[in-house]
Parts: sequence; C-alpha cells; structure tokens
Amino acid sequence: MAVDSNSFDKTFNEIALVEQTALQKFSQAQSTKELYELKVEFLGKNGSFAGLMKFMKDLSPQEKPQFGQKVNESKNRLEESYQTQNQKLMQQEISVKLSQEKMDVTLPGTQPLQGTPHPITLVIDEVVQILSRIGYSVRLGPLIEKDFYNFEALNVPADHPARDMQDTFYIDDTHVLRTQTSPIQIRTMQNEKPPLRIVGPGSVFRCDSDISHAPQFHQIEGLYIDKKVSMSELKATLTYFTREFFGNSDIKTRLRPSFFPFTEPSAEFDSQCPFCSGKGCRMCKQSGWIELGGCGLVHPHVLKSAGLNPNEWQGFAFGFGIERMAIIKYGVEDIRLFAQNDLRFLEQFI
Amino acid sequence: MKISLKWIQDFVDISDQLQTPEKLADLLTNKGLEVESIENKAQHFKNVVVGHILERGQHPNADRLTLCQVTTGDGKVHQIVCGATNHKTGDRVVVALPGAILPGNFEIKLSKIRNVESQGMLCSEKELALSTESQGILILPADAPIGQSFADYMGFNDVVLELKVTPNRADCLSHWGLAREIACLLDRPLKRNWEIALSTSSASTKSKIALEVLDSTVCPRYTGIYIEGVKVGASPSWLKQRLESSGMKSINNIVDVTNYVMLELGQPLHAFDVQQIKGNKIIVSKSQSGEKFKTLDATELTLQGTELLIRDAERPIALAGVVGGLNSGIQNETQNIFIESAFFTMESVRKTARLHGIQTESAYRFSRGVDPTLTLKAAARCAELILELAGGVAYSDFHDSNAQPPHANVIDIQLADLEERLGHTVAPASFSSWMKRLGCEVFTSDAAFFKVSAPLFRSDLSIKEDLIEEFARLNGFDHIPEKLPLTGAAPTAMSVEYLLQQRVHSFVRAQGYHETFHFSFVSEQLQKKWIAKDLIGLQIKNPPVPIKNPLSDELNVLRQSLFSGLMQTSLHNIRHNLNQGRLYEQGYVFDSEKGNYTQNWNLGFISWGSSIHEKNKKSQDLFYEMKATLETFFKSFLIKSYQFDALDSISFLHPGQTASIKVEGRYVGYIGCLHPIFLEEEKVRLPVVFAELNLELLLKGQPRKYRTKSISKFPMVERDLAFVLPKNMKAGDILNEIQKTAGTQLKSIQIFDVFEGAPLKEGERSVAYRMTYQDMQKTLTDEDLKSLEQLVINAVSQKYSISVR
Repeated sequence: MAVDSNSFDKTFNEIALVEQTALQKFSQAQSTKELYELKVEFLGKNGSFAGLMKFMKDLSPQEKPQFGQKVNESKNRLEESYQTQNQKLMQQEISVKLSQEKMDVTLPGTQPLQGTPHPITLVIDEVVQILSRIGYSVRLGPLIEKDFYNFEALNVPADHPARDMQDTFYIDDTHVLRTQTSPIQIRTMQNEKPPLRIVGPGSVFRCDSDISHAPQFHQIEGLYIDKKVSMSELKATLTYFTREFFGNSDIKTRLRPSFFPFTEPSAEFDSQCPFCSGKGCRMCKQSGWIELGGCGLVHPHVLKSAGLNPNEWQGFAFGFGIERMAIIKYGVEDIRLFAQNDLRFLEQFI
Repeated sequence: MKISLKWIQDFVDISDQLQTPEKLADLLTNKGLEVESIENKAQHFKNVVVGHILERGQHPNADRLTLCQVTTGDGKVHQIVCGATNHKTGDRVVVALPGAILPGNFEIKLSKIRNVESQGMLCSEKELALSTESQGILILPADAPIGQSFADYMGFNDVVLELKVTPNRADCLSHWGLAREIACLLDRPLKRNWEIALSTSSASTKSKIALEVLDSTVCPRYTGIYIEGVKVGASPSWLKQRLESSGMKSINNIVDVTNYVMLELGQPLHAFDVQQIKGNKIIVSKSQSGEKFKTLDATELTLQGTELLIRDAERPIALAGVVGGLNSGIQNETQNIFIESAFFTMESVRKTARLHGIQTESAYRFSRGVDPTLTLKAAARCAELILELAGGVAYSDFHDSNAQPPHANVIDIQLADLEERLGHTVAPASFSSWMKRLGCEVFTSDAAFFKVSAPLFRSDLSIKEDLIEEFARLNGFDHIPEKLPLTGAAPTAMSVEYLLQQRVHSFVRAQGYHETFHFSFVSEQLQKKWIAKDLIGLQIKNPPVPIKNPLSDELNVLRQSLFSGLMQTSLHNIRHNLNQGRLYEQGYVFDSEKGNYTQNWNLGFISWGSSIHEKNKKSQDLFYEMKATLETFFKSFLIKSYQFDALDSISFLHPGQTASIKVEGRYVGYIGCLHPIFLEEEKVRLPVVFAELNLELLLKGQPRKYRTKSISKFPMVERDLAFVLPKNMKAGDILNEIQKTAGTQLKSIQIFDVFEGAPLKEGERSVAYRMTYQDMQKTLTDEDLKSLEQLVINAVSQKYSISVR
C-alpha cells in the first residue's frame, strides 16, 4: 500500500510540533524534578516521541530512514536542551539549599570521652622507653616479697644497722611488703644468664607516713651486669637518661658519695636543675642541683647471693622514686595528690 | 646526730671554718656525711648582754613595777622598767637592748610603760628559751663580766651541724670521730691523743667489785673503774651546754659525764651505784627466759633468754649496752660508783633493743658498731671528769677483761682494679696518700699492688671494694669521666606482663577511662562492710592478708578487690560535684593460702553519671556501655568466646543488674550496677556501675598470634528475624542458638531492636536479630537464604517454644 506525500509531510510537522512544545515546556520548568518529569513525558519509554513511532508503519522503505533521522535529530536537540536547563535549575536549587543549611559553627563538637594515664604510669613508661633504647628490658616482681630477696640477698642481714634505713611493713616472719624494687635485680640475676640490662618498675612500701612520705610509692631501677663495669659507664648512663627524661641535652649530672648496702661505691645522683639549667631557682632551692636517686656498683656480696661469681661478673645499678620524678617533671605540688585520684588532677596528664 | 663545732675545735683546728660553717658543711656533704641543717646559736642573742643593776627603784606610776638603772659596759646608764620582784641593786642580769630579737621572734624596742621610758628588758630564763617555766628574771653569778654578750657568756657562740650519718660510718657518731674525719678531709693534725694520766689511789678496783664475764663472745671487752666518795650534784653550765647542743638533757654530774664522754669519744658508758651492787660482784651473762627486769624509767620487761645482762650477785642490774636498771642507777645520795665501759657486739645489742623496742643513744651506737679499742681510754676520761666535777677517789687496778683483742683488717688491692672500677687512671701516690689520711697503714713494693691495713675504728673497711669506695669519695666523683658501656650482648625480651599491661592501659584509656592508683592496703573493716564476707561472686575464698605492723586501722589488710579504692575515689569525686566520670585501675589484689601469698593482676572499671549532652542516663545505660567496653576488650585480645550470666550474690551490686563474666569457659570477673541500698547509704544520687576482671586468668597465654583470613569475593546479605520472648528469657540464649545453628555462612549476628508494649502482651519482649550471611565460594541464592532462615527458626522455636514475630 502506497503512502501519499501529504501524510509524510504531516508526520514531519508532527515531529516539529512535539519538539516545539517540549522545548517550550522545558524552558518553563521550575525545578529539576519537574524538568525530569517533562523529560520522561517527551523522551521516556511511553513518551510523546515513542508515540510518533506509530507513524513508521505507514511510511515507504525510502521514507523510513529519513523519518528515523528526523526523530533522532529532534530527540538530541531536546536532550541537549534538557541538560542545559537541568544544569541551570540545579545551580539555583543548590544555592537555595546552601543558604538554608547554613550552620552555627561555633556550637560545640560532640566530645568523645578521653581517658588519661596516671602520672605514675606516665613516668614509668617514659623511663622504660628511654632505657629500652639502650637495650634495657622490663622485669617485674612480687609486692609481697621474701625477706631473703628484699634484705638478705641485698647485703642487709637480719640485725644489721642498714635495716634502720627502711621502715618495713611485715606480713609474717619471712615476708615483707617490699621496701624497694631491688629484689627484682636478685630474681633476674638468679633466673637469667648475664650479660643483663634490665629495668624494674613498681610499687614499694615503707611505714613512715607523713606529709612528704606516702606509705606506698613507686620506684624504678636499672641493673647492668657484664664482665667489666665501671663508675664511668654508670655516670654516662645516668647523664644520657637525665637528658632524655628532661628533654634538655645540656644539663649535667653529678654523683655524691652515699651508702647503700647493695652497692659499693654508692652515690646519690643529682641532675642540674631542669628549670633553671643550674642557675638556681625556687625548685632547686637556689642550689642549681636536684637530687634524683641513688646508684653504685653492685656489691660483690649481692652478686654472690644471686649466684654470680664476683670475680667473673660486675655490675652497676641505679634507682629513682617515680613520684619524685613526676613532681619535678610535671610540677605536682603535693604528694598526696597521687593517691587522691581527683579527676581534676588526673585529667591534666594527657 | 648533732655536732658542736666548738667541741670539734677541741680536737682539730677549724678556727678558719667557724665564720663560714656552710663551706665546711658542703665539704662534709660532698664527702658522704650529709649535713641536714646548720644552727648558728649566737644569732639568737644579738644585742643581749650581761648587765649590772646600779639601782633598783620604784616605778613612779605603778606599785607592781620596778624602775632599774642598769649599766651594760657601754658607758651609758639604761633605765629599764621591770615587773619582776627577785632582783636587787648590785645584781648581774641579762639585758635585752633595743634591736634584740628574743626567741619567739619577740623584738625589743624603746617603749613607754606607764609614761616612763624603758630602754630595754631584763630577761627571765623563759624569755631566753632556756627553760619552759621561770619565776622572776635570771640573776647571773656576781662574777659575770658586765657588757659581755650573753651568747659568749653562755658559750652559745657555737654552730651546731645536724648530720645524717649513714649506717656504715659508726666511727663518726662522736665529736672525736668526726674531728678525725675532718682532719682527714682538711689534711690537718689532731690535737689530742687520749693518753690520760689518771690520778688514782693505790687501792684496787678489783678488791671492791669482782667481775665475771660469762659470755665473752658478745662481750669481748669489759673495763670498770671504782670511784669512792663522789658528791652527786648539778653539772656546771659548760657541760650542760655541750649536752644540750647535742640534744641531750642534763641529769646530774655523774650521769652527765658518762653521756658527755659518749658524745665525745663514741663509747657508751654506764655508772652504777655501788651500794646497790649486791655481793660486790658484776656478772656479764645471758638472761633466763621469763626473767623480769625494770629499766631506769621503771618499765618492766620480761626477758626471753637471748639478752645479754649485767648482773650483781642476785639480780640483773642493766640490759647490756641498751639501758640501765632502776635498781642500781645513780641517786642524789650515791657516794661510791662503778663506771662500766664495755664493748658489746652490734648484733647482740641490736637484737635486744629491737626485741623490747628500746632506742637509746647507747643502743644506737653499739648496734652500729663501736671502736673496740676505746673502753679503757673512755673509762679513764670519764673518771678524770668525775674526779674534777664530783670529787672522790678513783681506785687503780681497773677491770679490763679483753678476751678477744680485735685485729686489723688487711686488704689486698691492685691499682688496676681501682682504675678499672672507676674508669680512670689513678696515681699510686694519690691512692696511698688518701689511705694514710684515713688512718690506714699502706704497704707496697711496686706501686701496682697494695696491702692496706684498716684502722680498728673503721670496722666497715674489710674488702677491696670498701677501699675503692673510700678513694672514690675522697678523691671526688667529679674526676670520673663519662663513657657509655659497649656491650656485645643483644637486649633480652621485654617482660610479657609489662607489655600486656601497656596494651591494657592504652585500650582502656581509649575508651574514655582515667587511670587511678590506690594503695594496696585497705581498712579491713571497710573491706568487710563493702565487699561482705561470702564473696561467692568475687570468687574470694580466704580472709585478707593482714599486715603485722600497720600504720593505722585504715590500712591494715591487703586488698582483695579493686572495688574499695575505686569506690572511695568515685565518692570523693562525686562529693566534689563531678557528676560524671569513668575511672579504672590496673593493679594487684592479694590472697593467701596456707602461708603462700599470691598476687592477682586485676582490672577494675567504675563509671557514674551522665555528661551534659547525654542527660539522665540510667544505671542500665551505663551497664550496657561498660559491657560494650568489656566485649571490645575481649575481642581486642582475640578471645573467642565470652559469656555474661545473671548473678545475684555480690552484696554491693544490684541483684537484678549484675552479671558474672566467663571467658572461654573460665570465670574471670563480674559487672554490675551498684546496689540501691549501697548508694542510699553513701548518699549518691547518680547511677554507678562497676566491673572487675582477673587479668591473670583472662590474659593467660597472651599475646595470641594471628594470621589474616582471605576476604570473600561474593556478596554479603543481611536478613532480620524478630522473636517474641516471654518474661525472663535471655536474648543472649537465643543469639547463641542462632549462631550454633546457622553455621559458617553466618558471618555476624547482632541484636538491633528490643521492643515491649502493645500489641505484645504484658511481660513479652520482641527482640530483633540481624544476621549477615556470606559464602566463600558462591553467591548465596534466595533459596539458600530461605533454607538457612528456616533452619534457624525451627531450631529456636523448638528449643524455646517461641515464635517469629
């Protein structure tokens, strides 16, 4: 069946008309949503252009490609118009959204709770970190300690005047609450083969409580055992430690003679005041120096008690009070704060 | 130990040091004898002088006041108003002139008293802090030099050093001993030798008092002198002052002299009233168990058979080296005395003093070690002073049992040893010189090896390390160079417990908990009250470990749980209006079984209140928050299974809001909201939740190693199921059943909604579970999922008779 040219023209007009209507409606759309609905109305699966395809069946084989081409051209123009118009509307909509969603950035953030370390743990971890860099490993020991480890093996036999140096809490005739962290040294020397480099932190107990002494406090001590060990090496180790701990590579250290039953020679160990670098201030009572701890070469009796031959092995040891280190480093003013656990105090140690 | 520099000056010339005692104190401190304080006595009495009352008159405007004209040697007459009544014209008195600052920070100024000018003050003993009470003003002897400063007159122009003498330096517990040390440090000669030519009668001490030393191992030497016809009385002021400057009180001339010689030479002495020595015999022997003895201050001791006693023929008269007896001490009417100057071993005296809790100057010195060669010198010095101050006649033929004469320690030392231990070279001459200054004899043939004989007063020097220490301290530590050790050895492994503790700390802190520290000891009463006796929930079986010598009842047993510390701390914070907090402690709790003590490594959490953003959280909310922290904690340690079961046996926790915690089948702790009664008693109006874990058990075998698993390429699918649970049925039980049934394709399961109320019946709950399924080999089809779901529903509804909502 032939199709007259009239109907072909009419079909073409129809395409132009639909396109015209669509373009006009697109341009009048108020929102991207409305525009999208119009796009579906004209270009969708069941839209106006799809409707035009019904004319296809009435066209001759020569006309069909021409018709198809016309439709495609028209659809492409509409698609282009849609994109342009959509872009424009989207811009408008986003700028409205932006102004509507404006926040008060000065309102507070939602706080996650932040825990803090106790200053004692903080200092212990700092000391361990510094000493572990030069090869020291942590060892721990029991708080209820045998008299042997706390005294006898440390060259403090029963009825020896050195027992007066430490007021001891007794559990029974052979057990005490350890008065020092030094028993850790004996236990390690007994159980491990030298050479040794160990650091022992922990709680210690003394029954002399007053404003400046708590009945329980903390110590940390280092032990170095090797074939040959000298005061010179001990002094250098302490200087390294002090400079790292106070973060000041200029401060000097000094030794002052003292007495501990488990070391010989024994010394007190001072650091130049980290606050005034030795010039003298309130913290160091104008002396320029701050007392940090005790140290010395391990006494041959101690090596022997721990099962080492003093003719073969030598050692040095040093120890500090942790609370004292925290007081110096963080300016804690009252020793009682450590066991009081007031949140307003604890929160400051970040 | 208090040391008078004026007294030291008797033995070594330190006149150049007296103006700057700080320098001498620094020297001593830097050589190991720490000076704790310096007291300059003269400063107390500036502008206080000896005066002479020219005329005692009446105050024109006051009946009770006198008006005195006083000269003080400055050519002026001072008019002074005085309220006392015991003075008269011609008296020598103590005058505080304007500018004086009397003890108690009382400044003397020109003043007007009842319209009459007073140009100073006449002082009483109390105002001068010489005694605590006084009647009237102090009247000085008529020969007191007018115008002399009161400090000079009294011998107060002294400097007293307070020394902390370490236990190894018993030789410095006397003025002579410290003078010897100062002479060594300053390289100066000593001024005395203690060769005392005591004038004695020809009569024999031994004929008056017999001596029998039955236990010569603990009493190697006993010296005794008999003195007849002493007159007991007050000591002269110089003696009183020296005792006072060393912190001792004056008693009478005899006792004071024994104390004086002890402070001077370091040898403790005792004086007996001979009339009280029964049978004229002194026996040195051990006590008998159960024997009674009354000390000087009338304390009755029951002896144990270990103490060394001084006895007469019938009874104990002194606890050797510790304290004298009430029965034989010096009385005012005492005429004949026996001076004991003995050497008792340090262990023996120390044991006795500790056993009976008696601390005396004598016991202190003996238990640190006295120079064993001193007894005779000290006895002679003591007798010399007694004859001078109390009269009497000393008998010759003294007792001097010397069973075990001490011998000097001879120590071998190589110079190379010294250099090696110090880390620097040492000139042989420098070493010899210091040793000699210490009082040692030094023998050397080649300057590389030395034999050093230590003086008997330095019994602490016995091995070469002692000499190395002496040289290091005297030569100065500042000479020691600094050189870090070079070791060939690798560091050893860190303590696993410490590493795990660090991991626990960082985990718990990241959960918002602040770390706390509490004492290991607690009050037994509080622990009992708070934690109760039968601690089934806490799994504590034994009573707490008690401390034999607690500081107080507040701290008398070792803690069994971290609860009391964390709770007390929380109460402290809550009472300071800190309305929200999360605290934790990682620490030890203690237990004992049949004399074996164990410490358990525990972790305690406490949480209270709500932040300003959270508003009014209930205890349940806090419970579930803390539970989540615990669950995450378990997961972070790769713990495969854990279980929370209802628990109602912990008395301080809410019986309906408490769970026991099992990890991989083992009980490791508990969590619960505080009991409402507990909160009521402590007046806490906020919810509080507490949990405690036994990390010893929980982290046994940690850290666990792990290998990563491959990730499935196939999609994950979520399916939800809600069941209606009757009252008391546990949502966790259903969850476990689903997990068990669904098998390996179930990757995770979570409870995401709990609902009560209409349309459900009273007591019913709807609990919704979200399951995530995934297969390693394929995409799960609808059929697969449907059959899995059916499997789950069947299993749950059969076992628990409940249905899907």
